[in-house]
Amino acid sequence: MAMQHVLGGAGDSPTILVEGTLRSGQSVNFEGNVVVLGDINPGAQVTAGGNVIVMGVLRGMVHAGAAGDAQAVIVAFRLRPTQLRIANHISRSPDGEVCNPNQPEIARVREGIVVIEAFPPGGERQGKKQRPREELKK
Amino acid sequence: MSEVIVVTSGKGGVGKTTVTANIGCGLAMLGYKVVLIDADTGLRNLDVVLGMENRIVFDLTDVIEEKCRLRQALIKDRRIEELFLLPTAQTKDKSAVTAKDMQDVCGQLREHFDYVIIDSPAGIEQGFQSAVAGAEKAIVVTAAEVAAVRDADRVVGLLDSLAEIRDPKLIINRLRVHMVQRGDMMSLEDMHDILGLELLGVIPDDESVVVATNRGEPVVTSENSISGRAFKNIVRRMLGESVPLMNLDHREGVFNRLRKIIGLG
Repeated sequence: MAMQHVLGGAGDSPTILVEGTLRSGQSVNFEGNVVVLGDINPGAQVTAGGNVIVMGVLRGMVHAGAAGDAQAVIVAFRLRPTQLRIANHISRSPDGEVCNPNQPEIARVREGIVVIEAFPPGGERQGKKQRPREELKK
Repeated sequence: MSEVIVVTSGKGGVGKTTVTANIGCGLAMLGYKVVLIDADTGLRNLDVVLGMENRIVFDLTDVIEEKCRLRQALIKDRRIEELFLLPTAQTKDKSAVTAKDMQDVCGQLREHFDYVIIDSPAGIEQGFQSAVAGAEKAIVVTAAEVAAVRDADRVVGLLDSLAEIRDPKLIINRLRVHMVQRGDMMSLEDMHDILGLELLGVIPDDESVVVATNRGEPVVTSENSISGRAFKNIVRRMLGESVPLMNLDHREGVFNRLRKIIGLG
């Protein structure tokens, strides 16, 4: 899959770089894409109108496509979120069960639910590519 | 008849959040409808201690800003029926919740719940003042340390002057029985002399509290920990039962007897 498909029309919207780790209680709000060069810790929040890319560990809360864009994606070097939101879909990691592959992953909405796949697609873990998340009612 | 109770201490780190979570679970396990309010905006922990962090969508500040209805912000516990959490925001500060806001929220919640329990932040500033504003009763948590007792005493005075709460109940947390016996820690009598409050219970220093807290499962839900039993007793006392203080000495007992046998006691 070519990159321009993964990130939709991301090239058209403004993007900000956040340098460093977002700690608990810190938040970033931006109408375009957000790239974090660091981690997002539990209790930190990123809300973006477009996509969110984390060049580190995503442990906190990220809302991509916050203005309603369900095509928005969340990519993280390590995806361990408290909660992910894309447009009006909300998902959280399941209670108890742990599945933490050591590779970059991408979260996006497919058929109404947030799914998580290896990134780039077609890596070693092809067999377990899709990891559906428990859906929350908003 | 519903009750709105604030759990407070003045000093940080003495166990307000742990006490709130355990009392709330304990009451809900007996079938009472309980809602816990985290009033520590910006440094929230109650959601973590209850294992509910990843289910927060709306919070207290959203309710105040009318971004959602009150019942949308309530999170239901997955193990205990009738236990709910009203979380607060982590990315805002104490100014997001005023005393008037708390009074309004507590007023609404008390119509639907038997117990509304508020986890106050440490300190005596705005966050504390908002937290106590909606309450009619208080539980003061202290540790057996001079500094913690001093702060508790200050808070008892403020509860009276700010919120007209006259007779708060006392919980002594993290008591190390062997240190008290050696005279290295304040005893219950020492603390009672200073504070003069009715004692609701004593929680021994117990590693299983740390384990349970980190797992997001309050210790009162476990059957065989000494601190879990201490919390169950506290809950029964809150309901008006007369439960004698637990003998926290029994683990020392064997050791002491041994010492006596070898002639050290």
